[in-house]
Amino acid sequence: MKKTDTLMGRLGLGIASLCLAGAMTAGFAVAAPGIPHDFDSKGEKIFNRYNETPLPAMTGTDGKRTLNTFYELRQYPGSPPRIPHKIPTSFSGEIFECISCHGRGGYVAELDAYAPVTPHPENEACFQCHVPRLTEKLFVENDWQSIEPPVIGRPQLGGSPPPIPHSLQLREDCIACHTGNGAVAEIRVEHGSRGNCRQCHVPMVATKPVKEFTRPSK
Amino acid sequence: MTVKLDRRSFIKSAAATSAVATAASLFPGISFADWKKQTGSNGMITWKKAPCRFCGTGCGVLVGVSGDRAVAVKGDPKCSVNKGLCCVKGYHSVQALYGKDRLTRAQVRKNGKMVEVPVSEALDLIAAKMKETIKKHGKDSVAIYGSGQWTIPDGYVASKLFKGCIGTNNVEANARLCMASAVTGFLTSFGLDEPMGCYEDIENANVFVTWGNNMAEMHPVLFSRMLAARKRKKDVILIDFATRTTRTSQAADKSILFRPQTDLAVANAICHEIIRNNWVNWDFVNKHVSFHKGKTNIGYGLEDHFAFKDKAENMTFEEYKEFLREYTPEKVEKISGVPAKDIRYLASLYGDPKKKVTSFWCMGMNQHTRGTWINNLVYNIHLLVGKISTPGNSPFSLTGQPSACGTVREVGTLTHKLPHGVVMKEEARKMAAEIWDVPVSNIDPKPTYHTVEMFRALDRGDIRFMWIQVTNPMVTMPKLKRYRNGALKEDRFIVVSDVYPTPTTDVADVILPAAMWVEQEGMFGNSERRTQHFEQIVPPPGEAMSDTWQIIEVARRLGFEKQFPWGKDEYIGKIWEEYRRFHASPKHNMAPYEVLKKRSGVQWPFVNGRETRWRYNAKYDPAVSNGEEFHFYGKKDNRAWIWARPYEPAAESPDQEYNFWLNTGRVIEHWHTGSMTRRVPILHNAVPSSYVEINPEDAAELGVVNGEMVKIISRRGEIVMPASINGRGVPPRGMVFVPFFDEKYLINEVTLDAFCPISKQPDYKKCAVRLEKA
Repeated sequence: MKKTDTLMGRLGLGIASLCLAGAMTAGFAVAAPGIPHDFDSKGEKIFNRYNETPLPAMTGTDGKRTLNTFYELRQYPGSPPRIPHKIPTSFSGEIFECISCHGRGGYVAELDAYAPVTPHPENEACFQCHVPRLTEKLFVENDWQSIEPPVIGRPQLGGSPPPIPHSLQLREDCIACHTGNGAVAEIRVEHGSRGNCRQCHVPMVATKPVKEFTRPSK
Repeated sequence: MTVKLDRRSFIKSAAATSAVATAASLFPGISFADWKKQTGSNGMITWKKAPCRFCGTGCGVLVGVSGDRAVAVKGDPKCSVNKGLCCVKGYHSVQALYGKDRLTRAQVRKNGKMVEVPVSEALDLIAAKMKETIKKHGKDSVAIYGSGQWTIPDGYVASKLFKGCIGTNNVEANARLCMASAVTGFLTSFGLDEPMGCYEDIENANVFVTWGNNMAEMHPVLFSRMLAARKRKKDVILIDFATRTTRTSQAADKSILFRPQTDLAVANAICHEIIRNNWVNWDFVNKHVSFHKGKTNIGYGLEDHFAFKDKAENMTFEEYKEFLREYTPEKVEKISGVPAKDIRYLASLYGDPKKKVTSFWCMGMNQHTRGTWINNLVYNIHLLVGKISTPGNSPFSLTGQPSACGTVREVGTLTHKLPHGVVMKEEARKMAAEIWDVPVSNIDPKPTYHTVEMFRALDRGDIRFMWIQVTNPMVTMPKLKRYRNGALKEDRFIVVSDVYPTPTTDVADVILPAAMWVEQEGMFGNSERRTQHFEQIVPPPGEAMSDTWQIIEVARRLGFEKQFPWGKDEYIGKIWEEYRRFHASPKHNMAPYEVLKKRSGVQWPFVNGRETRWRYNAKYDPAVSNGEEFHFYGKKDNRAWIWARPYEPAAESPDQEYNFWLNTGRVIEHWHTGSMTRRVPILHNAVPSSYVEINPEDAAELGVVNGEMVKIISRRGEIVMPASINGRGVPPRGMVFVPFFDEKYLINEVTLDAFCPISKQPDYKKCAVRLEKA
């Protein structure tokens, strides 16, 4: 474990990911001039990712990442995960370094794992939010408590598509986290071949109270 | 430190609901604890087929039934429309049956207040009121206003009662507001209504052009088919040609914006370029196309009693080419804002003989004061290059309601129509009289009012009694205030059949509780000529009954037992077989009842046991009889018609005082006025309220940030609602967009009731407003 928990596999993964797709951050659509790209919760990302990711890369079922390992890296649902693998202290956290593995995912021989894919590759200063852990010791103890993570797979009726339980902010690209070998097993979808995720899945944020419709009073 | 839930406590908390302990240990975090469980259920589900309740795509769904309740939905894998996939509305559609405020008892207005009465008493009152009104004010003072959500039997018995028995042509349906321009477009170009192609065009095309059509939200299942085809085939591109940037633009390879109304000019410019570059398919054009022009400066229908009749004149190709001289890409760039190079690019896609091109459109082209013209103009493009009636080459007009085609267009529930032909034609009247078993003199040869004029007649007092079924005009009529005030006038009697209270039931004198969707047997007809039968799958609540049966009950009370003789356990099948007689020809033959019951939808013309997928094409269409590859048999000259239709401006455009365009429409989560989808928890929570989309730069100038209130003011009225900036869609500068589903924000109080003079369909996409920070 110690041996593989390093960044040595970075180069190997870079090559693996190059095999998967072309330019990651280049926009796919030719938008109308003067119209911002980031509307509809940056929904363009889903369509771009869908077009750029080959089907085999969306259908992998490695299953090593689980919700438990996922939350172990986080302080609360939605917090940026810490970096679980070793990185050289000289490492600057530049986009190219991280994105070579986390842009498109792929197998990392040194870690014997598939790299998770970031849903927001356009944010280039990775270390702004994601930091490594150099010591397990705390400075002082802390009485931090988190809320429970959102319950997943909570469809409104048997077999209906579950709503999106989390906010879409920084998590706009469904395909990044929910398909392929790098995806957390419990939230990986089996139908990556569908391209318009929000055709069936709409946000119903777990931490927001459910509203009941009532007619406006006259 | 980490999220304070280790693996064990995680599993423990999930496993608390013991029934799912196994699932929970496999998938920690899954919980079904929030579900309200059905009492007395044995846990078994039976699956029954139905078409989806919502849009005109006509997805096949399987409704899961446990006991007498619908409990689940899945896509019907046997249905070729959606092949097992639905959208978020379809998957949750059965929840719309169970809103808490469901109407289950009849109500009658007594001393100004609605009181519950037995349904038979309400039906007696309706019949008595109709008799009294006809006696006092004549037969043309009673009217029925139905819907593209009417089942085919609903519309059929409405037409039979009003046109055949009572003898008034006061039969209209809300499809006038959504599909009338598509109909007149088809009739003027081809002589027969409804698309020549089918959804299989999607797997065959190389180029898709969406004309003012946000398919990603409005026809999401077809859109997914398109995306999947593009991904699989690699040589497919999607061009979004629209007035506003949407989810569809985001998925498109290229998004081209045009100024509202100027699609007319761009379509002509595309034809100009096709001819200039000699991309015309001469073999096709010489054999199958003729050239025509009609009247120009045709008005906007803003005044009461507006009348217009087009007059077709033949023209030569040279004259048509001369007409197009005004539409060079450079000139049209000035009108439309579309760069000349983009116009040339579009023309090159249509003109490339190696590419198969499908054009999709819906409300953008239909809700247009030149709706008929723009439909004609897009057909012109396809006809010039001969890209029509073959797999993948398809000008495809989509519908918005589940049976706008099936009920309104095919049954003909419009003032001038009969199930076969128009009231003006003696042959058509004779045929209807014979099948309906009424004297031919009953059927009035003169059409009365189209929808807007019908509500004007109600306001004026020419109509005194109106029965409204399966629709919500007090949200959807343009220039709403006039028509609501009209409905509320003294001595007007309004009957509303619906499933939930709405702004329309608010103006009713009688409310009839209706069976919804699979609480009754019926048929819908979708966008690709597919008739879809559904049986009664669950019982309707309380005293709710099908709209068909309500009409039958009233018809019998009016003395028409002979025309409405059927029993409650057989009436749908009997009605279908009677109706089918109207269409008995290879051009329109409908499948027999028994076939419909078995299959997940059947396309017409259904001839000798076979569906017709591409009309007018000898390979697929048994009605082709000229020995050629194509036969456009709808027109007397056996040709498809190319029309010279000019660009004319909108009825109202932004000016100094009212300096913004107002555009209205929908979102994926809500269907039309939201009376059903807002009662589905997941859909309401995803989009709980309407909003006004403003371009970020306009918002900055106005000093408004996301969510702040904005006042939208037009010459008709004003409304205050929250701003949405970079939300679901982004309008260009100088335009705002408002979804119309929310009865709290009645945007139609602001819109204009201008319509296409040929189709009489109003334009909900264009009027002038100004904005204030509220």
